[in-house]
Amino acid sequence: METDEQARHRFQAELEFVQCLANPYYLNFLAQRGFLKERPFINYLKYLLYWKEPEYSKFLKYPHCLHMLELLQYEHFRKEQVNAQCAKFIDEQQLLHWQHYSRKRTRLQQALAEQQQAQQPPQPHGNTAAK
Amino acid sequence: MRDFRSVPFKAKAPHADVVNLDLKNLKTRELIEMLALSRNQKVPQPGEDTQILELLVQRDKEFQELMEVAQQQGKIHQEMQLLEKEVEQRDKDIQKLQKQLKEAEHILATAVYQAKEKLASIEKAKKGSVSSEEIIKYAHRISASNAVCAPLNWVPGDPRRPYPTDLEMRSGILGHMANLPSNGVNGHLPGDALAAGRLPDILTPHYPWQSSDVSAGMLPPHHGNDFNLEPPGHNKENEDDVEAMSTDSSSSSSDSD
Repeated sequence: METDEQARHRFQAELEFVQCLANPYYLNFLAQRGFLKERPFINYLKYLLYWKEPEYSKFLKYPHCLHMLELLQYEHFRKEQVNAQCAKFIDEQQLLHWQHYSRKRTRLQQALAEQQQAQQPPQPHGNTAAK
Repeated sequence: MRDFRSVPFKAKAPHADVVNLDLKNLKTRELIEMLALSRNQKVPQPGEDTQILELLVQRDKEFQELMEVAQQQGKIHQEMQLLEKEVEQRDKDIQKLQKQLKEAEHILATAVYQAKEKLASIEKAKKGSVSSEEIIKYAHRISASNAVCAPLNWVPGDPRRPYPTDLEMRSGILGHMANLPSNGVNGHLPGDALAAGRLPDILTPHYPWQSSDVSAGMLPPHHGNDFNLEPPGHNKENEDDVEAMSTDSSSSSSDSD
């Protein structure tokens, strides 16, 4: 039976570890050292799924890790992590997704600016036509 | 001369009456012809004549009776036809009702099914309801640290990432656990220390997930009991420690190829 102190320590360690899984290069690192093939490790990954519950997920700072954790439950995904190209691809996709909102926002701002520009010119043109 | 008493006389089945009438027609004709012939021949046989006439009269009576029976049967047949028509009509009505009932049943079944689905989704929504304040707080936390949305001034080359970088990983509790008993791994890439021999070593001897799949099912409630009893202040401590992972240092990016 672990003490409260040990349990708290374990909570923190697991919190950090589960979020590390969001780093595709870390996954590649683990795969290359064969951890993703070990049964205890696979069981541990399944155990970590408790972080999906709302009372635990509210402590996560990097939510990408939950998606990676779900994917890691599949053997095929675990096998693929050995390839560096796989890690690079995941990293690229993550970055693109990460930038999605800011890109959307800049596009909206641009559209708004264009709209305002379009509204201003017609008035002077109308005056010249009337003449 | 032939003996006409031996003419067969059958009147049993009603539908055979018509046939029998025809037969009697024939036989009676023969009788009359024979009578006429015998008249012409002028053979004095008075006894035979009377007999033949009597037979004729008898045949006529029987004819009349049969005609009456036939009439009655005709009436009955008509009634039967009327009743059959009524029966057909009733059958059609019943079939129509059947179809309508079936349609009604189908519609009701669909309605009940959809209502059940709705109830189920209401239950599900109630179960998973979170207070909007908590959601806003959480959203604020993960956005402020740029964990889910890139900073607006981000360019390629910026070390910030949507996942914990090497540096963040090292400066957390796991990194410190890895660095404690130095077994000559510190000279290598720090990332190795994190997982090479350390992480599983520290965790596997103490925790039951290594034994079998059965234990994987056991642990979350066990965990829940432990951590739900923690005072809220202590949870905040955990949050603060996690914040440490976000130290934006200006060292090189985290591509550990």
